[in-house]
Amino acid sequence: MRKSKYQKIMPVAMIVITLLFFYLPIILMMVFSFNSSRSLTSWSGFSLQWYQNLFKDRDIISAVTTTVSIAVISTVISTIVGTISAIGISNSKPILKEVILTINNLPILNPDIVTAIGLMLLFSSMSIDKGFLTMLLAHIAFCIPYVILSVLPKLRRLDANIAEAALDLGATPWQALIKVIVPQIMPGIISGALIAFTMSFDDFVISYFVTGNGVKNISILVYTMSKRINPTINALSTIMIVIVTIILIVINIIPLFKKKERTVLE
Amino acid sequence: MKKLFKLLAVLILSVTVFGCSGEQKEQLKVYSWGVYIDPSVITEFEDKYNCDVIYDNFDSNEQMYTKLMGGESYDVLVPSDYMIERLIAEGQLQQLDLTKVPNFSNLIEGITDLPYDPGNQYSVPYFWGNVGLLYNTTTVDYNDLETEGWNILADTNYQGRIFIYDSERDSFMVALKALGYSANTTNEDEIQAAYAWLTNVNDTMSPVYVLDDSIDAMIAGNKDIAVMYSGDAAYIMSENEDMSFYTPNEGTNLWVDGMVITKDSEAVDLAYEWINFMLDEDVAARNSSYVGYTSPVQSVYDEMSGVGGEYEGNIAYIPRLGYVNDEMFRNNETIRKEIADLWTRIKSS
Amino acid sequence: MKTFSNLVKPYMIWIGVFVVIPMLLIIFYAFTNKGNTVVSIAFTMDNFLKFFDSVYIKVLLKSLEIALITTTICVIIGYPIAYSIANTKSRTQTLLMLLITIPMWINTLVKTYAWISVLSDNGIINSILIKLGLQPITMMYTDFSVILGMVYNFLPFMILEIYTALAKMDHALIDASSDLGANKVQTFEKIIFPLSLSGVISGITLVFLPSVSTFVIPKLLGGGQYMLIGNLIENQFITVGEWNFGSAISLIMAIIILIGMYFARKFDQDGKDSNKQKEIKHA
Repeated sequence: MRKSKYQKIMPVAMIVITLLFFYLPIILMMVFSFNSSRSLTSWSGFSLQWYQNLFKDRDIISAVTTTVSIAVISTVISTIVGTISAIGISNSKPILKEVILTINNLPILNPDIVTAIGLMLLFSSMSIDKGFLTMLLAHIAFCIPYVILSVLPKLRRLDANIAEAALDLGATPWQALIKVIVPQIMPGIISGALIAFTMSFDDFVISYFVTGNGVKNISILVYTMSKRINPTINALSTIMIVIVTIILIVINIIPLFKKKERTVLE
Repeated sequence: MKKLFKLLAVLILSVTVFGCSGEQKEQLKVYSWGVYIDPSVITEFEDKYNCDVIYDNFDSNEQMYTKLMGGESYDVLVPSDYMIERLIAEGQLQQLDLTKVPNFSNLIEGITDLPYDPGNQYSVPYFWGNVGLLYNTTTVDYNDLETEGWNILADTNYQGRIFIYDSERDSFMVALKALGYSANTTNEDEIQAAYAWLTNVNDTMSPVYVLDDSIDAMIAGNKDIAVMYSGDAAYIMSENEDMSFYTPNEGTNLWVDGMVITKDSEAVDLAYEWINFMLDEDVAARNSSYVGYTSPVQSVYDEMSGVGGEYEGNIAYIPRLGYVNDEMFRNNETIRKEIADLWTRIKSS
Repeated sequence: MKTFSNLVKPYMIWIGVFVVIPMLLIIFYAFTNKGNTVVSIAFTMDNFLKFFDSVYIKVLLKSLEIALITTTICVIIGYPIAYSIANTKSRTQTLLMLLITIPMWINTLVKTYAWISVLSDNGIINSILIKLGLQPITMMYTDFSVILGMVYNFLPFMILEIYTALAKMDHALIDASSDLGANKVQTFEKIIFPLSLSGVISGITLVFLPSVSTFVIPKLLGGGQYMLIGNLIENQFITVGEWNFGSAISLIMAIIILIGMYFARKFDQDGKDSNKQKEIKHA
């Protein structure tokens, strides 16, 4: 069937408009981060002053440090704990498995504000001083379930016999774990780690409720600074967007190269 | 695998060490309003007293109180008068030794020794002012302001063009004053009448409830009338010549934000230094200039509002003192709860 | 494998502390009032009764309404887009989907903040309107700005879910259908759409449920008067200090969402939904 011109243009137009919708605010924000005046609407010349401001502002630097360090630490810990726990879960009795999985899914199913409130009440009633530690614990708490959910499917497809065979052949449980099981579920672990990192980096609501004593992450910072027009935030946002985009492009290009390698080898 | 673990271990260690590297100096934790200080002042204080200042912001006294009760620990707070009164009553503050605040003598007499803290035993003024109507002189008829006072907010001629401050206390004050009642009333009928007044405004005027977001919006002239703190009004007027400030004859709220030291503070000496530092003439001048709020320091007040001063002729910088209908808020827990509840209802409707 | 099952024990302790206890605390606060000593705990339904006041029910209904509108818009826009993309060449598909998913990774606060300067009365759109001699429109602090912000935030998820379902589809079925004489519309109606339904359902789940509970987007784009359930909870905890009432509302919302998820699961034919979603996000 020959498509009419209209039929050909429509999908393209739709996609283009959608992409414009997605990227216009972002691009505008990025463009105006280089504006030499405070205005976010009228261009008065190119300037890097907001970026300079950014690096001089201790509040911003500390928020970025907090966000990154919490994201890294909670990703590492939740990936390790999550993977190990997932292995444990998949080897548990069915009833126990059901119970643990249901509880495990609560932080994911619950709206984040409910999880946030719950954790806030927890820290309050234990009279723990809110701050970096509580934010970290909270992040680990909501990241682990995602890791488990990412690893479990891979574990299910795993051939249980291989690990048992390793044990029979004299491997210690630890060796069986590290050298047999983990390599096979590695894709699940990695995607779990990625999700954990994103969830932690992007989090606002939970961090907002469990933090204190001046400890802020980037989301909280943008939230508090958004009340007044502040191009410095635009500068920070631009940097974040650029980094995210580069990482995403890289991640998506690497498999393409690997494919090429393989086809060359074959 | 082992290499990966090593890398991770190094990563975690370096991040923790990096994160902890700021813990050698003494720390002062200050909890204050947003955009209420000249940032260079903080840096200067840190350099002068070789310490780290953690400066956190709250949007409202209520938010500060909730966070405080939730277990946050700060050294210096900057609450408003009625909240100071509440904190004193609940034993949350340290009694001040004013000999450690020599700059106290720089203060304007009229704002010291007020009913919320007689003798300034617990607090030292930081900024003060009142609440009024910021209006666009080109689009708002001055006559309306004079004849209607606070009721101009219910004048449908200005429908869709007003900002109301998202604060239950201030909104109820406006309503009560508009109806001719006291802002501190405990009379249930009067409070209900104020509630009805506010509900009417909400239903007929399409107001936008904002906090500091209205500041940039008014500088840009997005709306015609806004309920504003005098300090913000002064700042806006200095950025937008069309704007002016009016305090109705029905009276308004006179307020003082004061610095207090928490009962459990672990940096008491540093806290005293901070308080005294804020009252230093040069520091107070910079703060007042940057923020726009009226300084409690006499000499700064005179200079800013006087001839050649930065806020010369800016009527929002010189709040009315001694006007019989102007009141300061008093703390009343039951009424506060009721008003908070009613305000939530108004916003939800 | 018994040795491995022991690995789960530390985690059981962890979730006991960090998941179970917080939920119990919320339930506890929801059913009590302030002023309890350790000895005498008075359970009460007061907080729940308070919620069933027309004002608060209105808030709940408004949240559901906004969430419904957002979800519907996402489906209406998302489906055609996903369909169009699924019909392009494989290489293009990857590129387009990459472009669609990049915004998902950008911080929500940052994305929402970007819209403030676009929609403001003195923002870009109005500046252009004024230059063209037209009347400026007030967009900020309205239903429009909130729904726009929500759609902007959630649309990528919807497109992703529908696209994945469409891409997975066995093309042999489509070919068979046209071989058997069906025209394009019939094929779509009877083959493509039903098979892609699971994607639509996942998409709806990913959009509707978070929309009901969101509070950041309404707060930034809707202003102080925009009271959705999420805002109400935040307001009760942070500003008003009524932790008991706030907990009751949280509990009510959690139950609504859990019921919603239960029904979504029932509709969904695949069953391994949530795992897929996470896998897909990182495909």
